[in-house]
Amino acid sequence: MTSARALDSTLAALADPTRRRAVDLLRQRPRRPGELAAALAVSPPVISRHLRVLRHQGLVEEERSDPRDSRVRVYRLRREPFTDLRAWLDQVEAFWAEQLGAFKAHAERRSRGKRS
Amino acid sequence: MSRVEVATVTTLVAVDPATAFDVFTGEIGEWWKSGPRYRFDPEKGGSLRFEPGVGGRLVEVHEPRTGQGFEVGRVLVWEPGARLVFEFRGRDFAPGERTEVEVRFEAEGKRTRLTLEHRGWESVAPGRPARHGYTGQAFADMIGLWWADLLVALRARAGR
Repeated sequence: MTSARALDSTLAALADPTRRRAVDLLRQRPRRPGELAAALAVSPPVISRHLRVLRHQGLVEEERSDPRDSRVRVYRLRREPFTDLRAWLDQVEAFWAEQLGAFKAHAERRSRGKRS
Repeated sequence: MSRVEVATVTTLVAVDPATAFDVFTGEIGEWWKSGPRYRFDPEKGGSLRFEPGVGGRLVEVHEPRTGQGFEVGRVLVWEPGARLVFEFRGRDFAPGERTEVEVRFEAEGKRTRLTLEHRGWESVAPGRPARHGYTGQAFADMIGLWWADLLVALRARAGR
């Protein structure tokens, strides 16, 4: 997958507000579906639908947290899809950093001019 | 912790928040970097202008006499000295596609902490990889052009 397409599917998966919040929670640490459902105030079927989309797009992976009990699953964020998103946001941030640098210089020059 | 899909930049400016807001909006035509690489329409050039208040337009003015030009977006929140939110569209965005820029102005001693968030990229990209490549090719070009030349990033980014 090209990085542009990877970025597109990452953003597509994040287009839903519940999924965005789930991803933000998973950035902190892996969590069980039940935990996510409770934190986001949605029902278990709803959270499993969202997790399915995130898994399909490769944003999360599931793992069994307890080798003795296959029913206990936790979801963790995969790092790779976020690399392209981060690269894009880095460009956007660099763009605005440049503009805000110009803004700061202008605003401070102007206020010095006023005082003198 | 900033959200995963939001670009955030902050800077500290040695003026009070009211002045910072007024200069940011009222004098954008003067501080926005000059040259074709910073234009939405590099061929037409022109300078940016905010129409004050909610519903006002941010326009790259191509015809100074008539004020006509490319509408970057509309003002969604206009709170002088505190908060500004406006739409931000590239030239090749489809109707309905829009990103959003929020700027907060907070006093920090005698200075102003300005925090800018650019979000909503997820509203642009989905399902259209062939047409867009990266979200909004014209915008990508606009920032890509100088990105390549950028030697020192001036950014002081908020902690993630």
